[in-house]
Amino acid sequence: MGLIQRVIEREGIPTIGITLQKEVTRRVKPPRAVYLRYPFGHPMGEAFAVRQQRAILLLALEALETVTVPGTILEPPWRWRRHRFD
Amino acid sequence: MLRDVANRVAVQLFKRVPWMGQAWARSRGFVEADSAPWAPMRKRLDRSVIALVTTAGVHLRSQPPFDMADPDGDPSFRAIPTETPREALTITHKYYDHSAADRDVNVVLPLDRLRELRDERRIAGIAPEAYSFMGHIDGAHVATLMELTAPAVARALVAYRVDAVFLTPA
Repeated sequence: MGLIQRVIEREGIPTIGITLQKEVTRRVKPPRAVYLRYPFGHPMGEAFAVRQQRAILLLALEALETVTVPGTILEPPWRWRRHRFD
Repeated sequence: MLRDVANRVAVQLFKRVPWMGQAWARSRGFVEADSAPWAPMRKRLDRSVIALVTTAGVHLRSQPPFDMADPDGDPSFRAIPTETPREALTITHKYYDHSAADRDVNVVLPLDRLRELRDERRIAGIAPEAYSFMGHIDGAHVATLMELTAPAVARALVAYRVDAVFLTPA
């Protein structure tokens, strides 16, 4: 996914992606990423967890405005099935 | 048959045992890039049109499914109209457990969440199409992805004057 992200960014469009594999992302170096220590198949969290999905999406979109260093990987402290999204 | 069972076991192991995914990534020997490309945000988020891209194998039921027979995967993509009703979507991807995403596609492609942000005017709009790949691409298909299909999606995003893209893996 990071490879596709790099292609889009090179066309001039800013991008941010979720990653569940920090090591791969560190190597592929997409411009901006949000790392979540979640199981595969759950980049936006759990089914019907609207507040969780919204928090992940908003964090990523807001990071488009704030991240200034290429290759940044954000790590929100949201533990799988432990964090309460209010 | 035996291969299918082995694959299903592997999918569950990779999902439930985090270090296995890391070991797999190391074994694949992803080439390390020197630097990240960079395009700055030109507009505020609330004035920006956002597009979604996923590698979770989502597609319309009416579109051909991704090729699961080729061990190197399928480098093609499907364009999904943003206003597609949820029932019209399905997932073809045997290399991850998509049972949660089958129940709620927002787990891999957050169309409803993005629509809510647009309705609240946190973003200005949503691109008319989302783009979906099947993120298990190897061998010669990597070149097809990098030289043909990913650039085709990038050009479509430029043509739609998209201001920023949010990507989700499987």
